[in-house]
Amino acid sequence: MRIIVGIKWVPNTQAVRFDPETGTLIRRGVPSIVNPHDLPAIELALRLRDSAGGEVIAISMAPPPAVKGLELALGMGVDLAILVTDRVYAGADTLATSYVLSHTIRKIEREYGSVDLVIFGQETIDSSTAHIPAQVASWLEWPYIYYVREARILDNKVVRVVRELEEYIEEYELETPAVLGVAMRSLKPRHVSLSNKIRARFEKKLIIWSNNDLKLDTRCVGLKGSPTIVAKTIDMPEVPRRKEVYKPRDARDAARWIISRMLEDEKLRELLQRTLWGVKS
Amino acid sequence: MSIRVECDKLCPEWPCEQPEEFRDVWVLIEASEDSLSEASLQMLTPGRLIANKLKENLVGVLVGYNVSHLAEEIIRYGADKVIVVDNPVLITYNPRVYSDIVVRLARKYKPSVILVAATRRGREFTPNIANALRAGITADCTDFDVDENTRDVLLIRPPFAAILLAYIKTPFRRPQVGTARPNVFPVPPKDESRRGEVIYENIIVEPETKIRLVSKVKVEKKELGVEKAEIVVSGGRGLGGPEGFKLLERLAEVIGGTVGASRKAVDAGWISHERQIGQTGKSIKPILYIAVGISGAAQHMLGVREAQRIIAINIDPEAPIINQADYTVIGDYREIIPVLIDELEKIRNMKMEEAISYLKEYKALVAAQS
Ligand SMILES: Cc1cc2nc3c(=O)[nH]c(=O)nc-3n(C[C@H](O)[C@H](O)[C@H](O)COP(=O)(O)OP(=O)(O)OC[C@H]3O[C@@H](n4cnc5c(N)ncnc54)[C@H](O)[C@@H]3O)c2cc1C
Ligand SMILES: Nc1ncnc2c1ncn2[C@@H]1O[C@H](COP(=O)(O)O)[C@@H](O)[C@H]1O
Repeated sequence: MRIIVGIKWVPNTQAVRFDPETGTLIRRGVPSIVNPHDLPAIELALRLRDSAGGEVIAISMAPPPAVKGLELALGMGVDLAILVTDRVYAGADTLATSYVLSHTIRKIEREYGSVDLVIFGQETIDSSTAHIPAQVASWLEWPYIYYVREARILDNKVVRVVRELEEYIEEYELETPAVLGVAMRSLKPRHVSLSNKIRARFEKKLIIWSNNDLKLDTRCVGLKGSPTIVAKTIDMPEVPRRKEVYKPRDARDAARWIISRMLEDEKLRELLQRTLWGVKS
Repeated sequence: MSIRVECDKLCPEWPCEQPEEFRDVWVLIEASEDSLSEASLQMLTPGRLIANKLKENLVGVLVGYNVSHLAEEIIRYGADKVIVVDNPVLITYNPRVYSDIVVRLARKYKPSVILVAATRRGREFTPNIANALRAGITADCTDFDVDENTRDVLLIRPPFAAILLAYIKTPFRRPQVGTARPNVFPVPPKDESRRGEVIYENIIVEPETKIRLVSKVKVEKKELGVEKAEIVVSGGRGLGGPEGFKLLERLAEVIGGTVGASRKAVDAGWISHERQIGQTGKSIKPILYIAVGISGAAQHMLGVREAQRIIAINIDPEAPIINQADYTVIGDYREIIPVLIDELEKIRNMKMEEAISYLKEYKALVAAQS
């Protein structure tokens, strides 16, 4: 079994601060991390390998600092990590990113042999589009499924998955090679082991490919290969609100103030008539 | 005028087509269990706005099995036309088959815009459709507009942290594909007398062998989901622990609502992710939103823009939520909520007029404080 897992190196959005003076996000000095929703994907890939044998290859298209993220994946136990990086890939939207990732997968097939599964996180914390898995599947023309919480290899050609929609739990069988998007928070990722990290460094398990290796037409990658353009950005318009604030004497006073506000507000009074007093409208 | 695309500058993997070859605004309508999905009907609202500005038709696209009889219904919600593909192969949903059919329809009719509700299925199949058409796609839009000079649709979404809004366009590519989360737009008003054309497309669908449904079980939800509730009582990190949610549940029960949460409360493991409100949770449109121990971060507030009223209970007189709520009371929720429940139970036993006079001293109080 050869499993590829895609990871993205993202700014830690939890650490992003807002500058009220300039009204902008302060991204400078914000540390980057592996997209947290990719950790269950790595975990699933490792579990499948541990039960069926084979190898897991982590890939990421990103600027060079993302080697840190791939080192984390190696520390968790992936067998090989490939950073795909080139200036011409900069400014890519999801179409151009998925194009590079799908060609990376093709090259892995040429160099290491056929791939059985490609596993992605469900979405990223910085853009949260959830586009990449379906787009990569489209370029490769492989079957795919999202929101996977469990997967098991039936024989060497079929993967059976359990996935969750809003109102249904479904089981699907996909012929491999296939692409999976792994549900957020679905699996608890294992810890990074220092000995894995050291072994990976010693055995040179991290390799870097540029466009010299992939040889993609520059019209298909980066900004040029991206149909979407950000025309402009504006501040989020404020929702008009009443903004009444009350500092109560005590809790009783607070509760009564809240209720009086509701009863004097036509919308809320009408609502309470139905929900509190049970008057049918 | 739209841009003229120079074919030799395009990625050779993309078909070279001129934007002006495309027209009409499509909304993909999902149907299940004999009814149209509310989330996809909601997309007819921005669809209508764009269609009017472009002076093009609004077209509903209905793909499924045994769905033909629902087509007219889409017209009553504002579509000018409906294209139906009704095929037994679609008896079970499969993202590849579904995408393939829409892609073939889109190649034939060349719509300028495709809008889709970002339900889980919508999130699954839409990027596959966009990619097969080599089209740009923008996820989780909160608004749409049209640049009347170039006829480009502006797909408006909050990038990254919901403090800004980005206007995204795809001047060189058509169709322009966009999704929006459920409840960001209202369902358009229904007009029973509205008539329009229904086109039945007979597409030969190859049975899909590479992916098949093995089983499907409906998850019965005991409680009302936050999306549907008229009143949502939401808790944040300020609750300090899962016991806080017990208290909120009691309040929700008395007042007739359901419980929601901020991300920090979800991340702390106090409540399930299903209840998270905000940019990475759900967008909701209750009549009343009660935010307890929630600071009012932009990413949280994005999910309650459509709430008609917001009441906040917060211990910090400087919490940002104060400027984003209608009524804020400053204090410790641990003290306030039990008394609030008590008072609500008390007035429930009065007539409303009695309740109003019981609380009459607060009229003067509000005037004095503001
Ligand atoms: C890309 C991105 C996406 C995000 N998506 C979401 C999202 O979908 N939903 C979301 O909620 N957040 C989201 N966040 C996180 C968001 O930025 C905030 O961190 C989060 O909303 C804060 O949650 P909170 O208000 O519960 O906690 P805090 O900000 O810690 O606020 C706690 C509040 O409780 C008050 N408090 C404390 N004790 C009491 C008490 N005893 N009684 C009353 N009040 C008390 C405090 O005064 C404070 O105002 C996102 C962030 C990013 C960067
Ligand atoms: N640049 C990238 N390199 C590798 N994998 C990626 C990249 N971007 C996104 N992914 C994968 O695709 C998933 C969905 O990302 P997105 O579509 O951007 O929300 C992520 O969780 C990652 O697993």
